[in-house]
Amino acid sequence: MSLVLRDISITLGTKVLVVPFSLAIGKGEIVTLMGPSGSGKSSVLSALAGTLVAPLAVHGAATLDGRDIFGLPAEQRRMGRLFQDDLLFPHMTVGENLLFGMARGQREDRLSAMRAALKEIELEGFEDRPPQTLSGGQRQRISLMRSLLARPAAMLLDEPFSKLDQTLRAQIRRNTFGLLMARGTPTLLVTHDIADAPEAGRVLLITPHGEVKDV
Amino acid sequence: MNRSRSFSSSLPLALLFVLPLLGSLALMLASAANLGAWVAVFQHPQLWGGLGLSLFTGITATAIAALVALLIAASFFERGKDTTLARGLSAMLAVPHLAFAIGLGFLIMPSGLLTRVIAMLFTGWTSPPPWVTTHDPYGLALIVALAVKESGFLLFVLTNILAREDMRQSFAAQKAAAQALGHGTLSIWLRLFLPQLWAQLVWPLVIVFVYATTVVDVALVLGPTQPPTFADVVWSDINSAHVADAARGAVGAVFLALITGLVIMVAAAVGWVLRPALKLWLTRGPSPLALPLWLGLAKWRGLQLFFGAVLITLVLLSVAQLWPFPQLLPEHFDASAWRQVAEHSAPLVLSLMLAISTSLSALLLLVLWFETLPQTWDRAMMIMSLVMLGLPALLIGLGQYQMFLRFGLTGTGLGLFLAHLMPVVAYMFIMLEGPYRALDPRWRDVSRGLGAGRIGFLTRIKWPMLKAPLLASVAVGFAVSFGQFVPAQLVSAGRFSTLTMEAVTLTSGTNRPLAAAFALLLMLPPLLVFLGAGLFGRARWRAA
Repeated sequence: MSLVLRDISITLGTKVLVVPFSLAIGKGEIVTLMGPSGSGKSSVLSALAGTLVAPLAVHGAATLDGRDIFGLPAEQRRMGRLFQDDLLFPHMTVGENLLFGMARGQREDRLSAMRAALKEIELEGFEDRPPQTLSGGQRQRISLMRSLLARPAAMLLDEPFSKLDQTLRAQIRRNTFGLLMARGTPTLLVTHDIADAPEAGRVLLITPHGEVKDV
Repeated sequence: MNRSRSFSSSLPLALLFVLPLLGSLALMLASAANLGAWVAVFQHPQLWGGLGLSLFTGITATAIAALVALLIAASFFERGKDTTLARGLSAMLAVPHLAFAIGLGFLIMPSGLLTRVIAMLFTGWTSPPPWVTTHDPYGLALIVALAVKESGFLLFVLTNILAREDMRQSFAAQKAAAQALGHGTLSIWLRLFLPQLWAQLVWPLVIVFVYATTVVDVALVLGPTQPPTFADVVWSDINSAHVADAARGAVGAVFLALITGLVIMVAAAVGWVLRPALKLWLTRGPSPLALPLWLGLAKWRGLQLFFGAVLITLVLLSVAQLWPFPQLLPEHFDASAWRQVAEHSAPLVLSLMLAISTSLSALLLLVLWFETLPQTWDRAMMIMSLVMLGLPALLIGLGQYQMFLRFGLTGTGLGLFLAHLMPVVAYMFIMLEGPYRALDPRWRDVSRGLGAGRIGFLTRIKWPMLKAPLLASVAVGFAVSFGQFVPAQLVSAGRFSTLTMEAVTLTSGTNRPLAAAFALLLMLPPLLVFLGAGLFGRARWRAA
């Protein structure tokens, strides 16, 4: 599994917000993209996910396991996403949220996969709970697991730890990176806090002028 | 706030809205305690046929209106063009049902504009086809009129919900998350958005269903006649000179209300039984199907075309002297219908006076309510408003008539005013409650800190900030009053004639230009008021 970006740039009309850059993220690798607010970090993620809103536009090429993704609608790109907010669907229980993105199949198989996933994130027995009754950390873990159960070919993390308190933050970060690496999912993490980046991973910085540099 | 002050603050609306409503319902229930009349209802030869038609037309029109409204709202939401939609919607809402029905009838009649266009473009007909297009036995014309008009109302409800910034942001974020999980836009709307919107759509759907099943004036203009819908059967009984028929009509109105209530309960029970299956379907897994955006936009254009064609038909017909088939335009124009309207302007003046006085009175009463009573009281008022709109107009109109008769108000100007005021208050309360109560209370604190007193805060800060919803509610109140038929006809007792009553009478006659002119008169004032409300309600500032 690999995510390869070639000469990716983001423009707003004639203005270039992110100048062309290339990047390859291998199996289980987590690359961090940092930069100040408004530098275009989240726009890069939206462009890869297929949800960039006009008049912003993306240029260049992106392949996921050799497959060009820019020609595909968002739902067919197999790009998992985690946001600052957990975005658990409020009218569904925890279990229903997890089943929502899981591939179709035998109901019993899907249910047991859902329960196993809950066990993996230490929330066994939570399937019938409404998301509103959970803590921030629990919700974020479920959100991550919901993405992983959809078997994404790559993950895009958009400051997913920024709303968690300091003590919870380190633990959730460790769990998230552990799960992603164990599954071999190439991951692009966007953050403005260096502490959120994995210790051994590659870190890129978008400058205020839109240039992407290795740090 | 002390109890006596709350009591006195609530008194105006209690006297002018709540007590007449409860009194009307109590009298209707009392009049239902008439075994002989019940037997007569069940022996009525048109009962089951009429009831079947009422339910068929009501359920079908509601289902079509809901589907059309959802598809259009979803398409515009997906394209981020809600404001375009909002502009066109006010015009649709402003047109009274009756005026639209009259125009639609003239548009689709065998010699109407529609067949003339078909003849000109495709078939080359030289005489009108022998089709039954209005008063058809299955109520299809009635269904079309109700579905088109009610889809505008449901669309208005939906766009108001979706235009809220919190909803917009939440849905946009949820959509991104669901797309990342492999769901297409159709699946996202059906599995995510619709279940979350449902709670806010239930009451509007109930109101549409009850209205479509029990409407009288539109059914008189377009509906079947052999048998007619049950609402028209009841209406005919109520207007009968025979006491026994009138008693049967009163019980018939109660029976119709019970049947509509029963259908709603059955629908709720079916929903409850299907709930587990629906839950399973929600989590079946991703489906990449996309929402057919073009279909929603095409339907929106279709609705606009429909309204435009109705308007053109009415304008042409109102000035046509000789209009041979299949010509698209009349051969000779003549303003005699409009001269007749000018010579008999009393119905127009009365309708205008009623619409202006009731909408402004309702505004005054409601502002007094919001300013003097705590928000906890709103729940009771909301229930009363929903009862007013969720029950058939036949039932409430007949109850009003009986109550006003006891107080000597039937056939009086005050009685007519009250009969128009009650539905206006209900609609305007539902429209105003949210925006009025949602205004951030910190604005008051800030203005107090800057030295503004209570009156200064209201006139210089609060009401200017609430200008758009206040004016929009007045426009809706005006249109509601303008379109009243059943209560107006009953309470006027033949002593007053409003534009609506005249228009209904004219549709059964042969003077088509005059009927078209009256239908146009029914349309234009509400339309102008809506346009004015949109224009003057526009914010002079822009959000940063």
